[in-house]
Amino acid sequence: MSSAGPAAEAARRDFSQALNAKGHAVENARQAVATLERAFADGALERTPEIDQTLDDLRRALAQDEGQKLGGKSAEAARFIGRRLERLIEQA
Amino acid sequence: MSVEQQPRVPPGQYVTEKWPVLHYGTVPKVDLARWDFRVWGEVDSPFEIGWQEFRRLPRTKIQTDIHCVTRWSRLDIEFEGVPIRHILERARLRPAARHVIAHAEQGYTTNLPLSALEGDDVLLADVADGAPLTPDHGYPLRLVVPQRYFWKSAKWLRGLQFLAADRPGFWERYGYHNDADPWLEQRYSDE
Repeated sequence: MSSAGPAAEAARRDFSQALNAKGHAVENARQAVATLERAFADGALERTPEIDQTLDDLRRALAQDEGQKLGGKSAEAARFIGRRLERLIEQA
Repeated sequence: MSVEQQPRVPPGQYVTEKWPVLHYGTVPKVDLARWDFRVWGEVDSPFEIGWQEFRRLPRTKIQTDIHCVTRWSRLDIEFEGVPIRHILERARLRPAARHVIAHAEQGYTTNLPLSALEGDDVLLADVADGAPLTPDHGYPLRLVVPQRYFWKSAKWLRGLQFLAADRPGFWERYGYHNDADPWLEQRYSDE
């Protein structure tokens, strides 16, 4: 059963807005992840094992060692995984 | 279409002389003294070997074409390494083994049917065009499966897990095609 109520709806909206904002996909995804973590901490949305795995994958795609450039597929991964997360949190 | 009539480059691809670097995240730092390669799952002889032992395994060279899902193809690249056939024989696959997950650094995975490993051109490669793989192309070791789009040829390979049932890898979970046959343009799963 998905989280309902104004807080859950606002959390989903905030995540989508951050993910789809103008700007670079990687930075948008980082902002969207931060938004989602706040929603979990506040209890607006509930984690599921699939969301956690997807978030782990997204973090790996965005991980950037100091002094290194991100690979050319980080932005694509951010978009692909971000879209999956959007769908998953509809049921979260 | 006869073999003679078959085009060299799959549909939707262009040929480049370069070897583009495409991956997510950053290039992992590898310490060969700590590096290992593991084979497990539906096998009777799982094993784990270090770099020195890997380098003593039987080796071969192939010349092949590679095709990236992002539409570039590179022709006549030479890879050198250990034939996958040797790994399969050493691991002694159980009859239940039908699929394999390639595990790489940073949690990257990709999945293949066992049948994709049957070709003589499938290698665990540590040399390309006569030189050790560069860090951004998978140093020290990558899988090479030329008959599939090249994301299936996992860079920074650390292990092979044999399974009875298929399980999607990283890109396959998020929209890349499970089969990845370049001649069928199997790029994305929603196409």
